[in-house]
Amino acid sequence: MSLATLTRRFIARELRNRFAGSFSGGLWALMQPLLQLAVYSFVFVHVFKARVPGADAPGYIPFLVVALWPWTAFAEAVLRSTTAIQDNAALIGKVALPREVLVVASACASFAIHLVGFVAILLVLRLFGTPIRLAGLPAAIALYLPLFAGALGVALACAAIQVFVRDLVQALGQLLPLLMFGAPIFYDRSLLPERVRGLLDLNPFTFYAESFRAVLLGHGSFDPTRFGIALVLAAGLLIAGHWLFRRLDRHFEDFL
Amino acid sequence: MSDVLVQACGLGKAYPKVHRSGDRLRALGRLLFTRADPDRISVLRGVDLEIRRGESLGLIGANGAGKSTLLKLMTGVLTPSSGSVRVDGKIGALLELGAGFHPEYSGRDNVVMAAALQGLEGAELRARLPGIIEFADIGRYIDEPVKHYSSGMVVRLGFAVIAALRPDLLVTDEVLAVGDESFQKKCVRWMQDYLADGGTLVLVSHSMYHVQKLCRHACWLRDGEIAMQGDVFEVTQAYLAWHERKSAPAPARDEIAVGALEFSVIGASLNGEDREQPVVLEHGDRLRVGVRIRSRDGRAPCVAVGVVRADGTPVYGLSTEMDGETPQRIGPNEYGCEVEFEDLPLLPGSYSVRLHPLDPEGVRVFDTVERALTIRGASREFGLVRLPHRWNRLRSEEAR
Repeated sequence: MSLATLTRRFIARELRNRFAGSFSGGLWALMQPLLQLAVYSFVFVHVFKARVPGADAPGYIPFLVVALWPWTAFAEAVLRSTTAIQDNAALIGKVALPREVLVVASACASFAIHLVGFVAILLVLRLFGTPIRLAGLPAAIALYLPLFAGALGVALACAAIQVFVRDLVQALGQLLPLLMFGAPIFYDRSLLPERVRGLLDLNPFTFYAESFRAVLLGHGSFDPTRFGIALVLAAGLLIAGHWLFRRLDRHFEDFL
Repeated sequence: MSDVLVQACGLGKAYPKVHRSGDRLRALGRLLFTRADPDRISVLRGVDLEIRRGESLGLIGANGAGKSTLLKLMTGVLTPSSGSVRVDGKIGALLELGAGFHPEYSGRDNVVMAAALQGLEGAELRARLPGIIEFADIGRYIDEPVKHYSSGMVVRLGFAVIAALRPDLLVTDEVLAVGDESFQKKCVRWMQDYLADGGTLVLVSHSMYHVQKLCRHACWLRDGEIAMQGDVFEVTQAYLAWHERKSAPAPARDEIAVGALEFSVIGASLNGEDREQPVVLEHGDRLRVGVRIRSRDGRAPCVAVGVVRADGTPVYGLSTEMDGETPQRIGPNEYGCEVEFEDLPLLPGSYSVRLHPLDPEGVRVFDTVERALTIRGASREFGLVRLPHRWNRLRSEEAR
């Protein structure tokens, strides 16, 4: 069987897995981001009275949404794929199959769910009159590609290492929020003191957060040079992750 | 038709020693940054094996001998630590229980997924699905989650999928042991048809009966190495003999207690051979059963002779008293007799001959001694014995 069909089957199974047992099934995929949005708008806008600085700045909710959803896709893909090999130990022990497929399927499922949620929430915001540039949507979706490639590279490496060192997934659970708060997702770069602003660029996700805002909200500007760096980084992560996975692949069964 | 389907050269497998969690981290470091292997426990060493298309090989050996590991290496689930294995063809494997079923999904979903993993998809799968479900024959359970299945049902379903795929090489690991009698028969029948159609089979089983029934060749693994391979009867007999030797220090018969009996067996022979290993005969051969009995007070005993199949099913029994015979006196306190079966009608399989001395009245049994008997042959008849028969030609008006 072709690799593509196999991957498709595993993605379908993964999606069913995640929504199995929830009575609304696929509807939940759309409900979840909307509920999450309601919670954020209550906490940040009504409790914390958060605002984005600047004269023609967008409202806080759209400001948060366009950066947070891509991050959620990334973080969830990495976290869930990390245990993809370990969770399928029973299958791996019985059937010979290319193991990458399990990681790819898990990462794809996370991205698919959150991409759909992302588009849905943008449309809802637009309906409520938020000035979202729907013309920037294709560019935003294109931005997901290097983000996905990078996530997949990290996921492959983590899934392979997780087989040997089971604490990795716990460590990731602590590390990922650190990376999240170290990127301008909940805040704007301009809120930071002058001398630490440059440090933000060390976080790869900073580029994505700011670029999504540029193409969808016209907040800030899209920098082609940094886009180039992000592409190289994503490709590098994917290649390195895949190399590591291949290298450890033949020893999985011994340690599962 | 004699091309090589599986070729293993110097195949070996070793598992890393991991006791503490620190070992895992160290092993990871070694795998990533050095070429040196971590400390290992070897479970399979230097296996050279060649399986030709159309061959049927039984893989036998004690628990932990490396049978399952060898199968996993063949199917590609494990990667060899040394040597190589090559398989030319589509392989269908049923390794231990489950075939990788997901416990949360229904049997039907799992069948679809398992078939897809083996390359059966779309319209072809839809066409064969009813056949698979019918073969598994687990009724309404097919739509229940697999976690509610009994182990027998899981194997039924797994076997049904493999049966539908008709692979070039079928690899089964102790599948027959779990199914009930009727499913076992169905599987054996299916495997016989599959072999008759030119399929290739590797069967792991602890049932020598099944191995002898289904396989022409056998390979005996002992402590990770091939102890013997070749004709199925020779290998299985050597294997069984090894088991008997292993358990010899604890004799089944307490010689001292038996010696105190009124009548006890002091010698039992099949065709003149008095030994624990099975005597091998062809269907239709002559069988002479001889017995020597010690009589404590010098009275002449009765002797009963029984033939049972290896699983204990009685085939035939008789005694000297029934036939109006008496054992001959061959010593002061010793009697002997011999009974001969000409043109033995037993069908190929494993049997035991049981010998019992009885009191002269033929009422009380004093002792039991068994001798194993293996009948070989390529008969495809069913049952225990060949009944004399002929096919009658019908007259034309009756045939109408």
